[in-house]
Amino acid sequence: MTNHWIDIGNSDCILIMGSNAAENHPISFKYVMKAMENGAKLISVDPRFTKTSSKADIYASLRSGTDIAFLGGMIKYILDNDLYNKECVAAYTNASFIVGKDFSFKDGLFSGYDAKNRKYDKSKWAFEMDKKGCPEMDRSLQHSRCVFRLLKKHYSRYNLDLVSKITGTPKADLLKVYHTYTATCATGKAGTIMYAMGWTQHTVGTQNIRAMAIIQLLLGNMGVAGGGVNALRGESNVQGSTDHCLLWHIWPGYLKTPRASNVSLEAYNKKWTPKSNDPLSANWWQNYPKYSVSLLKSFFGGNANHENDFGYDWLPKVDDGEVYSWLDLFDEMYRGTINGFFAWGQNPACGGANAGKNRKAMANLDWMVNVNIFDNETGSFWRGPGMNPSDIKTEVFMLPCCVSVEKEGSITNSGRWMQWRYQGPKPLGNTRSDGDIIMELGFKLKELYKHEGVSFPEAILNLKWDYMTNGMYDSHKAAREINGYFLKDVTLKGKKYKKGTLVPSFAYLQADGSTSSGNWLYCNSYTEKGNMAARRSREDAVNKIGLYPDFAWCWPVNRRIIYNRVSVDLKGQPWDKEHWVIRWTGEKWIGDVPDGGWPPLKSLEKPNPKSKWAFIMRKHGYAQIFGSGRSDGPFPEHYEPLESPLKNNLMSKQRMNPAAPVYTTDADSVASNSPEFPIVGTTYRVSEHWQTGLMTRPQPWLLELQPQVFVEMSEELAKEKGIKNGERVKVASARGSLECTAIVTKRFKPFKIAGKVVHEVGIPFHFGWRWPESGSEESSNLLTPATGDPNTRIPETKAFMVNVSKL
Amino acid sequence: MPGKSFFIDTLLCMACKGCQAACKQWHDLPAEKTVNRGTYQNPADLSFVTYKLVRFNETVIDGKLKWLFFPDQCRHCMEPPCEMTADDPRAIFRDPATGAVIYTADNKNIDVHEVIESCPYNIPRTARDGTLAKCDMCNDRVRNGLLPACVKTCPTGAMNFGDREEMLVMARRRLATVKKIHPKAKLLDPDDVRVIYLVTEDPMLYHSFAVASNSAFDISRKVALNKLLRPLNRLTAGL
Amino acid sequence: MKVTRRKFIQISGAAAAGLATGNLGFDLSPVMAHAQMLKTKYAKETITICPYCAVGCGAIVHTSKKGDGRVINIEGDPDHVINRGSLCSKGAGLSGLVENENRLLEPMYRAPYANVWKQVSWDWAIGEIARRVKKTRDADFTKKNAKGQIVNRTTAIASVGSAAMDNEECWIYQALMRAIGLVYIEHQARI
Repeated sequence: MTNHWIDIGNSDCILIMGSNAAENHPISFKYVMKAMENGAKLISVDPRFTKTSSKADIYASLRSGTDIAFLGGMIKYILDNDLYNKECVAAYTNASFIVGKDFSFKDGLFSGYDAKNRKYDKSKWAFEMDKKGCPEMDRSLQHSRCVFRLLKKHYSRYNLDLVSKITGTPKADLLKVYHTYTATCATGKAGTIMYAMGWTQHTVGTQNIRAMAIIQLLLGNMGVAGGGVNALRGESNVQGSTDHCLLWHIWPGYLKTPRASNVSLEAYNKKWTPKSNDPLSANWWQNYPKYSVSLLKSFFGGNANHENDFGYDWLPKVDDGEVYSWLDLFDEMYRGTINGFFAWGQNPACGGANAGKNRKAMANLDWMVNVNIFDNETGSFWRGPGMNPSDIKTEVFMLPCCVSVEKEGSITNSGRWMQWRYQGPKPLGNTRSDGDIIMELGFKLKELYKHEGVSFPEAILNLKWDYMTNGMYDSHKAAREINGYFLKDVTLKGKKYKKGTLVPSFAYLQADGSTSSGNWLYCNSYTEKGNMAARRSREDAVNKIGLYPDFAWCWPVNRRIIYNRVSVDLKGQPWDKEHWVIRWTGEKWIGDVPDGGWPPLKSLEKPNPKSKWAFIMRKHGYAQIFGSGRSDGPFPEHYEPLESPLKNNLMSKQRMNPAAPVYTTDADSVASNSPEFPIVGTTYRVSEHWQTGLMTRPQPWLLELQPQVFVEMSEELAKEKGIKNGERVKVASARGSLECTAIVTKRFKPFKIAGKVVHEVGIPFHFGWRWPESGSEESSNLLTPATGDPNTRIPETKAFMVNVSKL
Repeated sequence: MPGKSFFIDTLLCMACKGCQAACKQWHDLPAEKTVNRGTYQNPADLSFVTYKLVRFNETVIDGKLKWLFFPDQCRHCMEPPCEMTADDPRAIFRDPATGAVIYTADNKNIDVHEVIESCPYNIPRTARDGTLAKCDMCNDRVRNGLLPACVKTCPTGAMNFGDREEMLVMARRRLATVKKIHPKAKLLDPDDVRVIYLVTEDPMLYHSFAVASNSAFDISRKVALNKLLRPLNRLTAGL
Repeated sequence: MKVTRRKFIQISGAAAAGLATGNLGFDLSPVMAHAQMLKTKYAKETITICPYCAVGCGAIVHTSKKGDGRVINIEGDPDHVINRGSLCSKGAGLSGLVENENRLLEPMYRAPYANVWKQVSWDWAIGEIARRVKKTRDADFTKKNAKGQIVNRTTAIASVGSAAMDNEECWIYQALMRAIGLVYIEHQARI
């Protein structure tokens, strides 16, 4: 979230699309309701009428996988009706940048497409540069190749008739949503978007969100209270685990995993440190080497020094152009190239797309380590449905970990708030914390490699591994490591810091090895002032918009609303006088922690040389309406999902996202526009369960509330199929099938897509054969395809094709 | 006795079932073995171990789909027909401070079925052995200055609890606001019960026992009156 | 024996029935006394953050100071500025996750081709896992790729998880996995 939960209460219009917050983030509705009480409008856009829709002022249905068409129509509506914030767009976005002559868009393809490799040559989308090496601009937004004009041209195709034909949303509903949401372009009004996996789990996931980000930028809804782009994250610490980068492509703090071609630390830093020739661009990532060297010092402590490139070569490198994502990992496992596997508090036998493929893949492993609170479908895959244990060689170690309340540490919520939690009871039985298990495994490996080190023992032996107190893992020690220390006595910004003291914030980190920090983004979270995440003050900030700056801590540097320099005009005065975020007093900023303390710009023609452009994390300092870094094009474009009810994309000749990955094992069957699977399928959650259900299905109170996997369908479809409410039915896709209880409901309605009736059904993804113990409830991911977004490789589990039949 | 009251604003309820879980948790009630019957409503009904239940109903009103939620529970009547029917404070009594209607396990001197029949809201449920159970207003919590578990956990302010006068004021004020958009909005039996619901549609669309039938309280008063006239020895027969 | 709340009421009711004094004919005081005693009265209070979704709601954990030292109640933290005491069904049922008879309490091992789990010790399990890691890693370890660039990695081991771990655990976990040479490091954020 660019903003945070409490801030939703400041909104004037809340669009909930790609999420069902009332069902899945119920406490968010405390703030949705608060905003509504103050007159805010709530809009729910969803294939099915949900609990969220039941509370909304406006509900509009759309076919799963057509969000870009829907949002593209809104962009056109904004531009056609002059509903954009001109000052904001010209000053803070790249709308004025001139795009090079090589850029084009034709028949659904952007220039530079390489069909064989399903890849674009992104250099074709580059901006024109002036002599100083800064982007050419036309602040009047008139130049025929400026981003603004290209945007207008691109979305001129997204007319109401076509959008309605693709999405199945009635035109009147489209207009109602567009009219209501775009009213937030008025000065002082804020609109917010609450989205979740309903937007990310598509072959166009990234572009779904980009489309909305463009809308927010046009309407001036970024950085303001009650605005922003807000991803409702689904797991208690998925924000924190992402910040610490338990992902193949990034290192803690969103640093890059080194590519093989980054042959030295110097080459690595050079490659990933952006350069701007514009003195007014903060270009914050210019500090990259400070963060990367401080991280290496955290990894290897005193063993990392100038002579050995701070241990840079001890860490694994990935091959240039290769992808090692979840989908690729299971594809490789299925092909038999992976021998050992850890599933740590995760249940891929149910949670991964095309779960049947994942389960078969696990039988190819030599060994698996499964750490969990309960026995589960992953650890016990060898005794699951269709498996014969006597054929499966995989050794499985199942390690019982304790529950969160039995240990101490922090987690980071969706609003980026890092919050400390304490130990209540001791771990039950013989369970251990993940921390203790990890530490112990590290010690065992160090011991083995010390005595029998053959293959490159350096990294393991040199790893700093001192996060213990009295023989137990100590989360405070790890928290201090993450924040970071000074490694020698230094004087910075006129102040002396002794060796061993905690670094006050990332602005103090150094690239010379004199500081360590496990994650620069969290540098400021655990300082000499104490454990900032444990703070509990209920006093609000001066602007009284619910920032609570001394309650817990949030990254970066406790900034509660990021991009907040966009909430003010060029003179530093807030657009919204009532719910202001920051304000320039003439001498300093007050309110939230500003995006950098530089003074306001004053004017675009003669900007204050001491100021900086608003988007400090971008190389040029501007928000990117034109996103030339994306794998699948600089503008979001509608494509059909991998599996679609349509033969053709009504928007262009490209049926599916031309850059989306396609996997080809015998387990990756696909059936698009097939009479065998004519119904659109989607997956979602219910309030009473969580993720694959492993922390809820074995919990009797919650199982009581939602005991079985179900499939929701319209009364029309049920009639067609002769299905009665409450009866068990079979749902099948090209990849698998499962039994579900039919919920026949008025809340799903057939869509009219290009003159044809298209049905959609939905299934919650929380179930699996291990719990409930009946074994009759299975995972909806047996149905979903293993393909995904070309930028993120998040699987397309929200739009695929199925059939439903009576048992 | 002014006592306490609930104000339940169904317009704010989004059926997260936090109240159901919190009720089970606080009272250490076991889970029921349930099945999906083609609805989100589970368990199917109140029971000896389920005191709180969100009832779900889908309906189309004036061409507009509504998904109505009704967090059902004992209304803790101002003059509880069950208490009067039982007429045995060892079995059913009212806490004089809060007005909570409390059932005990000592039911050997009451006609359990008569008690159940007397409830205008179809609340009391029995165990196999005939023991009665229902919502106890978390009287232990309330007497210690805490909110009932269901109210405490409610995210949106659908569930409210406090002194009766305060709740009546809140309910009437909210009704006045809501009526501007939902002209059919009304409070359900506010004078007769301590759990006052605000609904925006015909109460029958939420739940067939959302309101007491017009005569329910009159009949139960008669029953109670008859019972008061019975010989006193019936009361002490079991001692 | 774990005395449930329901049983308490039954017992109290029975106790009340045994006492017959006062103008009503009964003394209700034991029932009333019970009604005023909170089950959390003598418990240790700690604060926690709900482990389910990412709203980050605060909760109070009541742990028994006596006996087995287990959780007797978890409810919303009224001083938490986000949820202000409220919790959805998952959070409100959190004590049922902790005190749950389905929990796995011992390390288990499944041998190749076996059809049952075997209970093992922690020491044995971690020791054997370390040996498996070493064997697989050493057999596969790639110092240089096809282009001759230093890569120092193994692609024969993969690890997924976990958004359910604390920040500090996440950090030490990724440090260890990266030190082993893993590149297949993924978790919930990807799916």
